[in-house]
Amino acid sequence: MPENVILLKKYDGSMLNPVNEKEVWRYAGYFGKGINVSGELKEILRLVEGELADRLSLRVCFRRMPITREEDMPVMPFHCKSKNLASCIKDSDEVIIFAATVGIEADRYIARYQKLSPLRALVAQAYSAERIEALCDKFCQEIETELKEENLCATKRFSPGYGDLPLETQTEIFKLLDCSRKIGVSLNDSLLMSPSKSVTAVFGVKKP
Amino acid sequence: MRVTDFVKNNLTVLDGGTGTLLQQSGLVPGELPERWNISHPNVITEIHKAYFDAGSNIVCTDTFGANCLKFDERELDEIICAAVKNAKDARDKSTGGQQKFIALDIGPTGKLLKPYGDFDFDSAVECFARTVKAGVKYGVDLIFIETMNDSYETKAAVLAAKENSDLPVFVSNAYSDDGKLMTGASPAAVIAMLEGLGADAIGINCSLGPKQLKGVVEEYLKYSSLPVILKPNAGLPKSVEGKTVYDVTPDEFAEDMLKYAQSGIRILGGCCGTTPEYILKTCERVKEIKPKPITDKGLTMVSSYTHAVVFGDSPVLIGERINPTGKKLFKQALRDNDIDYILNEGLKQQEKGVHILDVNVGLPEIDEVQMLKKVCFELQAIIDLPLQIDTADINAMESALRRYNGKAMINSLNGKEKVMSEVFPLVKKYGGLAVCLTLDENGIPETAEQRVEIARKIIATAEKYGIEKKNLIFDTLTMTISADTRCAVETLKALNTIKNELKCRTVLGVSNVSFGLPCRDVLNGAFFSLALENGLSAAIMNPNSNEMMKSYYAFKALKNLDGNCAEYIENIEKTAYCDIPPRKSTDNGIRENNGDGEAGRTQLQNAIAKGLKDKAAAITKELLESTDALEIVKTQIIPALDSVGKKFENKTLYLPQLLMSAEAAQAAFEKIKAKLSESKTKSVGRGKFIIATVRGDIHDIGKNIVKLIMENYGFEVYDLGKDVPPQTIVDEAVRLNAPIVGLSALMTTTVPSMAQTIKLLREKAPWVKVIVGGAVLTKEYADSIGADYYAKDAMETVRYSLEITEN
Repeated sequence: MPENVILLKKYDGSMLNPVNEKEVWRYAGYFGKGINVSGELKEILRLVEGELADRLSLRVCFRRMPITREEDMPVMPFHCKSKNLASCIKDSDEVIIFAATVGIEADRYIARYQKLSPLRALVAQAYSAERIEALCDKFCQEIETELKEENLCATKRFSPGYGDLPLETQTEIFKLLDCSRKIGVSLNDSLLMSPSKSVTAVFGVKKP
Repeated sequence: MRVTDFVKNNLTVLDGGTGTLLQQSGLVPGELPERWNISHPNVITEIHKAYFDAGSNIVCTDTFGANCLKFDERELDEIICAAVKNAKDARDKSTGGQQKFIALDIGPTGKLLKPYGDFDFDSAVECFARTVKAGVKYGVDLIFIETMNDSYETKAAVLAAKENSDLPVFVSNAYSDDGKLMTGASPAAVIAMLEGLGADAIGINCSLGPKQLKGVVEEYLKYSSLPVILKPNAGLPKSVEGKTVYDVTPDEFAEDMLKYAQSGIRILGGCCGTTPEYILKTCERVKEIKPKPITDKGLTMVSSYTHAVVFGDSPVLIGERINPTGKKLFKQALRDNDIDYILNEGLKQQEKGVHILDVNVGLPEIDEVQMLKKVCFELQAIIDLPLQIDTADINAMESALRRYNGKAMINSLNGKEKVMSEVFPLVKKYGGLAVCLTLDENGIPETAEQRVEIARKIIATAEKYGIEKKNLIFDTLTMTISADTRCAVETLKALNTIKNELKCRTVLGVSNVSFGLPCRDVLNGAFFSLALENGLSAAIMNPNSNEMMKSYYAFKALKNLDGNCAEYIENIEKTAYCDIPPRKSTDNGIRENNGDGEAGRTQLQNAIAKGLKDKAAAITKELLESTDALEIVKTQIIPALDSVGKKFENKTLYLPQLLMSAEAAQAAFEKIKAKLSESKTKSVGRGKFIIATVRGDIHDIGKNIVKLIMENYGFEVYDLGKDVPPQTIVDEAVRLNAPIVGLSALMTTTVPSMAQTIKLLREKAPWVKVIVGGAVLTKEYADSIGADYYAKDAMETVRYSLEITEN
């Protein structure tokens, strides 16, 4: 895998794991154990999936970059004082930064059903949330395989807003990945991403 | 020589990429290349010169990201000044003998426009305008807007260029591998919009290599009447020994570009990964080719932000339901600023299969300019159909057309000199397909011949404004046959002549024909069929009319416009039957226990508890025949909701189920509201409740859930939407004298604007109780920003609001 170039990957829905319904219902507000989701609700999820699955545009852009160290803290390609991240990548000399999205059609679908059926909007939002996670998982799994060929492996992934890695890091990540141009994701003044079902993250590359 | 004159007669060669070359010269990741115009002028000049030496006719300044979001005003001016100078120096130094032009390069801002981002359309125009003004000041030959992956931002840039210069404007968009822009527009949609806006050349750049862009290129050559630009990448990037290289060689690239030039591309260049060598090879290959002529495709098109509608043999349906004329509830919705009601009218018509939505929100007592702008914006957030802007108010028309994402239909103009002099300039500036009524200062002529005469006059006048007849669509005016039985014949005759002799498109508001007669649908359907046979291109109609839809599907099937009769087979059953009156139910609120529901619940309560929308609506409708509306709310709907709400709070039932019941209750309420508005009884109101997602936050799913449940409980909910500034919320609270305001925020970054809103409310509307909620909030957080109450979910909001309003 080349270094320091922004690379792109595009996925077809069928390449991801099948929808984890339990996760969807958890995102939709079903907590507790051993819940029985009614047939009507399952039907709505099937409807949502039927209409939305083909409209998702699953894309990832990413960049592999070397890091150095000053004393015990890593010097990242972006400003970073996060101790959590530092400990996560303490054995790494390189990181991979990525941004992933399911595309703008999910937002449009959700907005539309906000007006027609808030229930369907809720389910669509939960479904899209589950899909973006599945996309990140798929991407990381592929990278893991590619790294294996170089006799390397990946640490767990870390996102801005997570632990002590501030949300402000988004601004720099967006510059490094040229997200708007590469995968159509932009950042607003409140550091929210559009399309809303998007994720940025960083992980370390290390020896197994 | 103007560049447009050069393009008319020659194949035109652009420059190639600069990013790779700058990186080789030492530009580091994250550094802004525009600054190099000042810090490394020689490097930039050398790159430009290398392209001129290789044979480029047009070189773009190094100003891709030179905009006011990235640089302050002074630096922006300095950068553009230096950039233009560098390009001019290169032109002076180059020994190439070809015609040489300098283009002001404008790329996207990187911000997404509203509604899905937070960048306002007007701000975007203003931002691009600053770059354009500087470019004009320092003297360029044309403006090159490129790599745009959103149609709306593209429109903002083109408007800025047109409003602040007389220079030719070239526009190039970046398409993804699915053949669409990132925000979903197809090539045809972009082409329709850009031709309307008066671009001088349009095309494609970046994203992919030459071969992968084949599909998009074909679409451009099929739909565009303008010269087409192609500026692909040198394939895909890879890394060899630490250097970025691209997988298409200069020779392969030139070979592909030659083929595209032969098929009709007139302006060629390279994007990411291409170098002067690619351009040199391309120039050598295309040197001997005679350019293929640019032809007017004569297509009548409108577009939305996703697709174009082409007016051809197949009839186009324009839904007429977004219009207050004769509709009590619609008028009330307009007065109440109830945008959701209007949006739902749009959604329903889309489900029925219309292709375009007419939008008319004119009512004497409302501010039509603001309302039309808002409704069009909100419609475009959730519905991807092109819109027909329908207004007699020229200011409302302009403000809606300006912000419309795509190329709209414009309803309407006519043969009156004054009207033409007002509307044609808007059609010219913003693009659009104008509905032209065949009437003038003397009213509606009786005969077909006179109407055709007016059509001729309109065509001639349009020509003077530079508007081609493909952008006019004629309405020969449907009159009711109950007043004069000859009039349908004249309308059809005029229609036929305009279609076949003047070769123009036609449109009719069909249903007027039956006014004053019984069973109007029967006449409407038959008249529609006759009009179609006489060459009607589009109908402004009610898609809820089964007779109209039957005529439409049957016509298409019979005229060989519906392959395998697929559309007919798929849709006809929905419309082929008359509505069968619903079976009479015997329950009038009597308790039932059929083993299916809980003991002691009425049928309606059961339907709500189980979340059965249709059933809840049907039962309510029946109950209303014998029971007082408010009584149903009090004794049936509210208790049912209460019981569901309690289960939700006890966690024996979850959010999706709560929403199912809420939607069923909502369906029941719709029936109740309709009944109440008939009998003019006051509403079920428990009081006013304002709700909004605070400024900076664009999440609204939680807010909408609260809204729905509050409405269920009889609150009059005023939904101000998302990303709402504090002042707007305060103004509404004061205007409505609302006792309660609910604020939602999902992000830690937007909680400060929630705090600001509360502070302002305390100053200007001290009586207001503020409820806050949202993912990041806690009771402590809510207390610290001075809220009255933290509600963790919709039910808590209801409980607290009831407490307040009952005391």
